[in-house]
Amino acid sequence: MIYPQKLSSRKSEKILKLLLIVSIIIAIILITINKLTSPRIPWSALANCGIIYIWMTVMYSIKKGTNIAGHVLVQIILISSVILYIDEKTGFKGWSINIAIPIILIVANIIMLILTIVNHKEYIKYAIYQLIIVLISLMTIILIIKKLIEIELLSKIAIIISILNLLLSLILCYKDVKEAIIRKFHM
Amino acid sequence: MKNNIKSKLPWRRLDNTAKIFPMSTGEKYSTVFRLSVVIKEEIQPEILEKAVIETLERYQSFKVRMKTGFFWYYLEQNTKKPVIEEEKDYPCKYINPKKNNGYLFKVTYFKNKINIDIFHALTDGNSGTTFFREIVYTYLEMCYPNELKQENRQIRKIEYDTEDSYIKNYDKKSKSNESGKRAYEIKGKKLKLGAISVIHEIINLEELKKESEQYGATITQYLTAVLMYVIYNENYIENKGKKPIKICIPVNLKKYFPSKTMSNFFSYMTLVAQVNEEKLDSFDKIIEFVKNEFKYRLTKEEIMKTMSANVKLGNHVFIKPIPLILKNILVRLSYIEIRKHTTITYSNIGRIGIIGDYKKYIDYFLMLIAPESVEKIKCSSCTFENKIVFTFTSILNNNKIEKGFYMFLKNRGINVSIESNGVLDDISSETK
Repeated sequence: MIYPQKLSSRKSEKILKLLLIVSIIIAIILITINKLTSPRIPWSALANCGIIYIWMTVMYSIKKGTNIAGHVLVQIILISSVILYIDEKTGFKGWSINIAIPIILIVANIIMLILTIVNHKEYIKYAIYQLIIVLISLMTIILIIKKLIEIELLSKIAIIISILNLLLSLILCYKDVKEAIIRKFHM
Repeated sequence: MKNNIKSKLPWRRLDNTAKIFPMSTGEKYSTVFRLSVVIKEEIQPEILEKAVIETLERYQSFKVRMKTGFFWYYLEQNTKKPVIEEEKDYPCKYINPKKNNGYLFKVTYFKNKINIDIFHALTDGNSGTTFFREIVYTYLEMCYPNELKQENRQIRKIEYDTEDSYIKNYDKKSKSNESGKRAYEIKGKKLKLGAISVIHEIINLEELKKESEQYGATITQYLTAVLMYVIYNENYIENKGKKPIKICIPVNLKKYFPSKTMSNFFSYMTLVAQVNEEKLDSFDKIIEFVKNEFKYRLTKEEIMKTMSANVKLGNHVFIKPIPLILKNILVRLSYIEIRKHTTITYSNIGRIGIIGDYKKYIDYFLMLIAPESVEKIKCSSCTFENKIVFTFTSILNNNKIEKGFYMFLKNRGINVSIESNGVLDDISSETK
């Protein structure tokens, strides 16, 4: 073997189709939950925009050969900051921390989960970014304890997915996680 | 102070051909070629890094980065260290002059293989091979210091320069009569997400030589004819092609003109096969056609015509003073059309000569050229000992042409083995 074996075109097309179907199913589930629980606030539209946005980001990252996980982390921080700022400047109604940021964290964690499953052989590349995304997601626990969040459902989903994410990564890539931590935090 | 040091760094103009590359390239049109060597033991990255740094000191013309001038790009000495990485990405990807520590080449390794991806603005396949061979020699000497010694290699005092040999050798009066018509474009669904398929067909040289001699053809002529025949059979007929199949073959100008340059000094000839009009529907007819085209086009006069036309364009009194920002737009626009004038490129850099003692450590060499959205497949070959490796780099989502080529040689009793990067299905297992 003289090349790092790439995913065959057949497999990558299958994965792309599968991910597209999963995205559509998630979108439909989100719309249904939205209609059933809080029909007055159209948060599912925002969530679905997030899914489309993340698709565009992932495709762009793959084509440009950049690190998807790094890209996702930067996007989380930037978009969350902008959203918080807008909420703050429009009288802080709390939609940013109640709805928008948890949705962003859910989508980001799902992407990381998929990346881990599909590409766990190259997990070392994503490890440190994924750990940071999990930590950011877990920080919402503080907001729940401090009673700063009114709608807890989305935040709880984000926390559960991030814990799942962490567990799966530890199971699949324990050595890589350890190496990434040693490498990045050596004194 | 820092700026002062920078302004004193040596610089040089791009050669006449290289001038065009930074203007026309991008993610989708990289004009990058790759040379690889497969050796018999696993690569040691630390030693490889040392070997590259040492070789760069001897070949200063490669120790450069691209800078932007007002009228043209130029090359300036690069003071940073080259980046050596494990191979992860597809080959021949665009080398962004602002990344990679500014270097216009990239050395990577994977298991037993060393690769160098070179942006064509830096040099051509011939000089690229010279530089790469020096890296390989130095690496092997560092790995086996008792067996291989630099002194014993009789390092010829490196007599090279960076002159623009195009300017020195072109003929102002020469006129090109090249056809400006569009070529047949190989059709098919493209691979997704920027994937590039690589298929190497490792051919037994002796057997191939015997086969080509039966047709009174050289190896390049024979392989060109097989390629044309396969394109005709596997793509042209199915898509009811009408335009001519045009095969572009780069020509090493150092064989025709005196030059010691390490910059680009190549031209090309284009075989134009009017398949329908000339009824080129069998291999025998195609190989006769290819032999005649080579005879007609591979003469100093014809090569001079193509080379001179390009030099005259690059030095045109109206083109020179156009600001670079406008030149970039004009070149990109004209390249959209120019690229449609070739069906496929096939570059044969020939035999890579290695000194006796070093041969036993090497298995074979590879050469690859970047495919792009119009020329979806590009072909290249190089020879080492009794192996000629014919390589297909492709963005097409099927391997019909590669498979047709393999089957053709196999049916003629020539031994061929396959190596690939796994993007497309394995040809050899499919045909068993």
